[in-house]
Amino acid sequence: MSNEHHANTNPSGEPAASFELPAPTAWPIVLALGICLLAAGVVTNLAFSLLGLMLAIAGVRGWVLDLSPGRAHVEEPLVEPARRASPIVATPHKIEYLRPGMSGHRMQLPEKVHPYRAGVLGGLAGGVAMAVIALAYGAISGRGIWYPINLAAAMAIPGFDLGTLAELEQFSQTRLLLATFIHLMLSLFVGLIYGMLLPMLPSRPVLWGGLIAPLIWTGALHAALGVLNPAMEELVSWPWFIGSQFAFGIVAGLVVVRSEKVYTSKLWSADAPVDPLHPHKPH
Amino acid sequence: MSTLESTNVVPAARPSLFEQCVTTVDHKVLGILYLLASGLFFLAAGLEAALMRWQLMQPHAGKLDPDTFNELFTMHGTTMVFFVGMPVLVGFGNYLVPLMIGARDMAFPRLNALGFWLFFFGGLLTYYSFFAGGAPDIGWFGYAPLTAYAFSRDTSTDYWILGLLVSGIGTVAAGINFVTTIVTMRAPGMTLGKLPLFVWMMLVDAVLIIVAFPPLTAAQIMLLLDRSLGAHFFDTQEGGSALLWQHLFWFFGHPEVYILVLPAFGMISEIVPVFSRKVIFGYESVAAATVGIGFISLGVWAHHMFAVGMSSTLDAIFAGATFLIAVPTGIKVFNWVATLYGGKLRLDSPMLFSLGFLSMFLLGGLTGIMLATVPIDWQVTDTYFVVAHFHYVLFGGTIFAVMAGLYYWFPKMSGRLLDERLARWNFWLLLAGFNLTFGPMHFAGLLGMPRRIYTYAEGNGWEVWNQLSTLGVIVQGAAFLVLFVNIGRSLRSGKPAGDDPWDAWTLEWATASPPAPYNFEVVPEVRSRRPLWDLKHPDDPDWRYE
Repeated sequence: MSNEHHANTNPSGEPAASFELPAPTAWPIVLALGICLLAAGVVTNLAFSLLGLMLAIAGVRGWVLDLSPGRAHVEEPLVEPARRASPIVATPHKIEYLRPGMSGHRMQLPEKVHPYRAGVLGGLAGGVAMAVIALAYGAISGRGIWYPINLAAAMAIPGFDLGTLAELEQFSQTRLLLATFIHLMLSLFVGLIYGMLLPMLPSRPVLWGGLIAPLIWTGALHAALGVLNPAMEELVSWPWFIGSQFAFGIVAGLVVVRSEKVYTSKLWSADAPVDPLHPHKPH
Repeated sequence: MSTLESTNVVPAARPSLFEQCVTTVDHKVLGILYLLASGLFFLAAGLEAALMRWQLMQPHAGKLDPDTFNELFTMHGTTMVFFVGMPVLVGFGNYLVPLMIGARDMAFPRLNALGFWLFFFGGLLTYYSFFAGGAPDIGWFGYAPLTAYAFSRDTSTDYWILGLLVSGIGTVAAGINFVTTIVTMRAPGMTLGKLPLFVWMMLVDAVLIIVAFPPLTAAQIMLLLDRSLGAHFFDTQEGGSALLWQHLFWFFGHPEVYILVLPAFGMISEIVPVFSRKVIFGYESVAAATVGIGFISLGVWAHHMFAVGMSSTLDAIFAGATFLIAVPTGIKVFNWVATLYGGKLRLDSPMLFSLGFLSMFLLGGLTGIMLATVPIDWQVTDTYFVVAHFHYVLFGGTIFAVMAGLYYWFPKMSGRLLDERLARWNFWLLLAGFNLTFGPMHFAGLLGMPRRIYTYAEGNGWEVWNQLSTLGVIVQGAAFLVLFVNIGRSLRSGKPAGDDPWDAWTLEWATASPPAPYNFEVVPEVRSRRPLWDLKHPDDPDWRYE
């Protein structure tokens, strides 16, 4: 390794006339061939392994000798001017300032977003609302509050459909912990997505978060579950499921939307400079 | 380093191209050699895939016998993962990392050469099995006990083990080299917080290589001992464990997916901002998500083993971890989309392929989340649904990103631009062919078509999907033909690219195209994440805002 790999210039500030670079060498390929033959001999003939061993030893020896003083590096002369990098041309111009609505290379859009904290809180609040609806379904349907919890756990426990309906209505500590973990993770994940995405969507974020997103999600799930897991599909009460999705969407959306927005980046604000030559064009 | 006055600079006689190739330690030449070698293996893997699709186009086809079919899918998978995917990314990394960080070469140039030749010879050794009585027929993950001497009496499995062992040593060498280079050889002022995102992702990628490969190497040596010296690591008849192989293999195998996709993420993170004319949205979160993915990817391997009969608790833990990895991956996707949002998009070929990557990888990710759900995995495991999923991730992800990277950095490597009209043909043919090939596999899989079968009976509803897939392979072949024609024409008579054809912002564009052997006449001091922007706009530099 050259310890001068960033040395650029001679004392006058000009590029150096030559650069110290590692010398070309064939020993790496000799060593690699040796190792390969060493391996090949295992399945062909030990003579190959013997040859490979000899080549490998020769490769290592040559490599070590290559590193001796005066042999490890060559001086690479500066290439002729036609093959050198062109000087970087600066674009001198005065600075104007970005105004809201004006495009700029440093602008982070959306200009402001909801803080991650709002996404987390929204996800948690939506998760609670969703759980309330799901538990209400369990209570009202007569299957008990553990039924929706056990169904949620069944997402991750294989062989759930071997359980009887009676088993799904019973309390199970494992399933409760698992369902809580899944629900918490998904709620936080979706809440964070809301926090990031809602400012990017057209107006009426609650409409997007509370109605459109749950509709798309539930529709996709309904279509997929019928194919992938018909047994599970039969156990889910879809009207209640959709209701719980809407509850999540509306509550999470409201919490997120009502939070105070923060700037996405200190790289841009209304006082940041813009290229006045191309304020509306790419640089 | 010296001046003309003080150094005896000997203008050596120009060596032949062959001599240059076998003796080179220049990271740029080695990078191109990696790309060429992986291109060669890609042709082989593509031919294997085409032959398989030809066989599966009709039910009860007798074009290939079952043993040959087994060899083809084993070699296709092995080649694409070990001899195409990794080397093409290591090749780009080799070429670009020193240029991006302002270094003159990799930290260990000779080790770099050794790594390349080990990979190349390892690949040749694996392929030599075709001429030595038959190629491996054990699947690319070589499950025990199929690899045991009782079920694989010829030498094909040994070639597979030894070829991967040899090339694996080369890959680890490359990983060590990347870590050392990135940690110790950055230009003055380039702190970790100012690293180009491609370099960040190569750093995490290299760490994953160093962590994930030794278990695979150990497993392969154990298997070799089982086969050659009568050990019983994986022999259940003698107290061994077939499951041990799966754990060891997948402890490598799942990080391997991220080893294959992280550099692709890096390429996209470089290309999307340049063609949106905006800085990347949330640089810090992209870098942090990369590190997060690296960590979590080491803890999800058993999601490949839901069907082997582990405990429900283990299944649940690995399902949870797999759901978790969607979070940092999702953050990245949102960052790319947010970078596009409000940008001045230039739909040149690198950007087209980047958008192709975004949409295809997203689809692959969504089916990945489905497969992380254990009951769904039980339903569709080992069907063509899984084949479709990982092709959307690795082809739709990695290969599309590599194509974007190729169109983006080819002018730097060659000094010539690729033809944009042919590039568009390439993109649309590849997008159509890719979706035509792998989209129908989802449906064949949901209809119960198992993977790895060499033929099937009519009446299952699989025929139409298989015919579409085969048609898609032909379209993909046309796409790659266009690419090769484009490259050939460009090298012969392409338009000169200039140093910075895309008006980009990272250091590699400050060098000549192609760069001189020493890379930089003068290494610029880095003060922000966009050093070239700072140089082009001294009155409005980024460092004021970072």
